[in-house]
Amino acid sequence: MKFIIFAGTPGSGKTSIIKYIIQELKDDFKLFFAKFDCLQTSDDERIAEEYKIPTVKKLAGDLCPDHYTALEIPKIIKENQDKDIIILETAGLCLRCSPYVKEGLGINVLDITSGDPSRYGPILTEADVVAISKGDLISQAEREIFRTKVLKANSEAKIIEVNGFTGEGAIDIVEFIKEASDIKDEKLTLKHSMPSAVCGYCYGNKIIDEKETQKRYLAGKELKNLVPNLNCGKCGFKSCNEFIRAVLDGKAKKERCPFIKKNHK
Amino acid sequence: MSKKIEKITILPGINKFGEKENFEKININKGEVVAIVGHTGAGKTQLLYDLERLAQKDTKSKREILVNDKTPDKELRFNPKRKLIASLAQSMNFFTDMPVGDFLQLHLEARGKKSRQGLIEEVIKEANRITGEAISPEMNLLNLSGGQSRALMISDVANISISPIILIDEIENAGIKKEEAIKILVEEGKIILIVTHDPSLALSADKRIIIRDGGIVKILNTSLKEKGIAHYLNWIGNYGLDIREKIRKGEEIKNIEIYCEPVKSKNNF
Repeated sequence: MKFIIFAGTPGSGKTSIIKYIIQELKDDFKLFFAKFDCLQTSDDERIAEEYKIPTVKKLAGDLCPDHYTALEIPKIIKENQDKDIIILETAGLCLRCSPYVKEGLGINVLDITSGDPSRYGPILTEADVVAISKGDLISQAEREIFRTKVLKANSEAKIIEVNGFTGEGAIDIVEFIKEASDIKDEKLTLKHSMPSAVCGYCYGNKIIDEKETQKRYLAGKELKNLVPNLNCGKCGFKSCNEFIRAVLDGKAKKERCPFIKKNHK
Repeated sequence: MSKKIEKITILPGINKFGEKENFEKININKGEVVAIVGHTGAGKTQLLYDLERLAQKDTKSKREILVNDKTPDKELRFNPKRKLIASLAQSMNFFTDMPVGDFLQLHLEARGKKSRQGLIEEVIKEANRITGEAISPEMNLLNLSGGQSRALMISDVANISISPIILIDEIENAGIKKEEAIKILVEEGKIILIVTHDPSLALSADKRIIIRDGGIVKILNTSLKEKGIAHYLNWIGNYGLDIREKIRKGEEIKNIEIYCEPVKSKNNF
């Protein structure tokens, strides 16, 4: 089974290009499409109706959509063991993170009119394929400048120019999907850690697994009760949560926090 | 691109009914201008797409594109630093908030090209040959008019982009001197393909490819007579631009001044 993740800011053209890709793949492969969003979407229903493939809608609500995606991935995989390719479209909001997994293929749909690509974080820098959209709206010079900047941010990326209206570039992405390696039974790992919030992933867990997340969460919670939660910065980290992650990753000793040191002498 | 592009070749594919296109091959040489004509929806843009991605029977049309008589290296298609093809389309705009001079400098740097003394001034000078409204290096890109933007894009593609093949989608109605624009691109030894509905552009190309129902149905070499007609149509277009400038300056237009220079040489596009 191949596991493909599309990420990109809202309006970048993810869904349009995915439709062309599904059209190309649906006769030869058993597909499943999962659409993640924050509050509402009907993309999943439209794709199910148009291409007659099974889909699911996943709404993150009050959760960080990328955390939510990572929490839901194991369920999606478990329920779709009979499929050849799972295509997952993220809500695509955060420049800080990306839910790409090492074992799958990560595709960033990047709107060329959205400004300097150096502003983007892992959503661009960790992508295997960068699909540049809306190139037909912008001058050749700016396209060339943009490509150079994308390569500066992610020198390993395969760059494809795509057009959501005409489907240009979709067949190139299809090639990359066909060449992508299959995921095995092992646990998937995130390419990049999530930002801090309130679960095991918030404390830096990267293994997508309930038990691992819980273990990390409990260990994090224990430290959370010991630190002052004032983000005083005396430990050298910007926030207590960052410090907790570093301790759990084994990169810092908990005694580096003067508060813990004082109280636990 | 270390290797020079001397020639590209289009090998036949199929039309939208699945029938094989009726030609052996179409060769396009360096410095040649080819017009692609046909009704809206006939498949002109598909041909540009095939060329852009150097199709290897892997697109809808099943056409095959050769470069210098050989199957192009797959690398050419995906390595953006080696991209062979630059494109210009009617819908394109500048989005960068920056003075013209600084922007051209940035493009030069992105291309990894060494700037030579006076190159940027030259690019602007050539752009000013195409547009009636002069561009200066201090102007902000976002404030350029449609004609100025188009002129600058053309001059930039001719002088700074290294891509040897230029695909142009509908250059008409842009308020620029089209004949001059194509001349600048030809002078730089580029291969030029223009999708157009404009009779003066279509007739001033070296050859034209006629497309119907998704397939290439005819290839015509432009006759000398047609080139003459194109020249005349162009003159009318440029005359319109001159009058436009005069109107904008507040002048009154009292006479129509009919005077058309004859075609000078065979190289006079």
